[in-house]
Amino acid sequence: MLQANQIHFCIQKRPVVDQISLTLQAGEILAILGPNGAGKSTLFKILSGEISCKHGQVGYNGHPLEKLNSRQLAQVRAVMPQHTAVNFPFSAQEVVELGLFSTQSKNPSLLVREVMEATKTLHLKDTNFQNLSGGEKQRVQLARVLVQIWEQKPFPRYLLLDEPTSSLDIAQQHGVLSILRGLTKRNIGVLIILHELNLAAQYADRIALLKGGMISQCGPVSEVLQEEALHRVFDYPIQIIQHPVHGGLILSTNQPSFQTIKQSKQAYYGNSF
Amino acid sequence: MLASHSYPKSSVQNLILAGLLAILSVLAIVSLSLGAFPIPLAQVGEVILNGLGFPGIEVDHQQVNVLFQIRLPRIILATVIGGGLGVAGAALQGMFRNPLVEPGLIGVSSGSALFAVLYLVVISGAAGFWKTLSAVGLPLFAFIGGLLHVLAVYRLSRSQGKTETATLILAGVAINALAGALIGLTLFYADDAALRSFTFWSLGDLGGASWSKIPAAVLLILFPSMLLFKDHKILNALALGEHEAFHMGVNVKQIKLKLLIITALIVGVGVSLVGMIGFIGLIVPHLIRICFGADHRMVLPGAFLLGSILMNVADLIARMIVMPAEMPIGVVSALIGAPFFIWLIFNLNTSKR
Repeated sequence: MLQANQIHFCIQKRPVVDQISLTLQAGEILAILGPNGAGKSTLFKILSGEISCKHGQVGYNGHPLEKLNSRQLAQVRAVMPQHTAVNFPFSAQEVVELGLFSTQSKNPSLLVREVMEATKTLHLKDTNFQNLSGGEKQRVQLARVLVQIWEQKPFPRYLLLDEPTSSLDIAQQHGVLSILRGLTKRNIGVLIILHELNLAAQYADRIALLKGGMISQCGPVSEVLQEEALHRVFDYPIQIIQHPVHGGLILSTNQPSFQTIKQSKQAYYGNSF
Repeated sequence: MLASHSYPKSSVQNLILAGLLAILSVLAIVSLSLGAFPIPLAQVGEVILNGLGFPGIEVDHQQVNVLFQIRLPRIILATVIGGGLGVAGAALQGMFRNPLVEPGLIGVSSGSALFAVLYLVVISGAAGFWKTLSAVGLPLFAFIGGLLHVLAVYRLSRSQGKTETATLILAGVAINALAGALIGLTLFYADDAALRSFTFWSLGDLGGASWSKIPAAVLLILFPSMLLFKDHKILNALALGEHEAFHMGVNVKQIKLKLLIITALIVGVGVSLVGMIGFIGLIVPHLIRICFGADHRMVLPGAFLLGSILMNVADLIARMIVMPAEMPIGVVSALIGAPFFIWLIFNLNTSKR
């Protein structure tokens, strides 16, 4: 279990993460949602060990974060930050192979190939990473991160992702989330920061709503995704509809679409203007 | 980048390294024969065979002296120091994640030169204890100076866990200017001999090469360079950024300190032996990356070999161009290096690879 207990982090005396406690079980997907500036990324960095937090504790499988060295930490969790720049002309495959650093894989080339196939990046393997498109870069980075935890291990592990789908088209977004769904069967817990509410509704087990550095709500998807709570967190009217076929939740805005406004105006004024 | 993907990458890399080594060997033999006192290649061969103990080969004693006492130590020194500068440049560029970083640019060289001049003017002038230490004292001071400067530049260019490229270069310029001024100030109080050696420190000179300098070069440049070769995986990981490397399991703080100390040692000792020689540490890693990709498994040893080759070529030109006099090697390396660098910037900008 990844456990955070009362973590508190200030930037220039302003609390960015305010007394947050949360848990992530192996085998589940926890989505973190919230408006810009809610403290999602700071929380993410504290959980991953990138910034150390004086107040509160973070623990991986019962071991306090500060007692684990970087190598031990890399065995139990992999991290995909929001942006990763590569300044040298590495090929896509070389970037993915960097994920092997702390693994003791018996067949590293097979492992890399498998992950690149799963992330649909195998055809890019000899391309210079710097020449890839934004979406391709994101998939290659995801492949690199996945390599780190792809092989089965006898202990629970965790994958932390900060908006891994921000540059992806709709098919690839679902592709990535399906991969993550599959990881949960390998005793891996996934924590993912998302902006796309529908992806969270469709793939997450639990959702944490973050606002002003505090968790306003955390629980199973159907409990957390309530119109009123979402409206409060995002300061924008959001409507929840059930899918007519599979019954899943669809989130939409309460505003009429631009098209319908145009149509109703046309009906009112005619086509004269 | 390489087109031959049908072969495993590591064997292609080994083949390239073997090729570079072959070029270096040929160059070294050619370099043995050329100079103010030319010795035909055939006779170079005879002298070498004679030196190895083959019986029945008559050799000229003057040729033996020129080859073994003057040219051979000089070529070894050029090879080791050129290689050291190349690999130090590659390691620093990898660590700072910036292809513009060079030992000279970020103050290692000038820091070493300042401390070396300080040592020569202030300490070795004083008799007694320090005088007896002169064999160790000079490289030691150069190393400390280089380390202090690179730490200062590094510290200045860091903010919130990131190394800002612009600040890094500005900090390097500032520290270099300060070191230059302090060297000037020291020279103001120096005698004639020290003054003459200023040219040596600022432009580099392999003319003073002798066997007495070889042990320091091998022990303090060649071995540390080989130590760096082993860190290729870590440098690859660092290329993604310090945080990413940490996430992947690299002990970033420890490895950065290690890299800074080793590169300061290589460059500092190199400066104490032959003075400041620019551009090798900048150009060589670039060339290797452009030709053979960015994998540090290739870049580090490749930069060593290519650095050795370039240094030997520059030394050959320095020896030949104004015979029987000699040009300071730093002039040659800058004359080759600066236009090449301009071409490189131009090319990088047009092709945006």
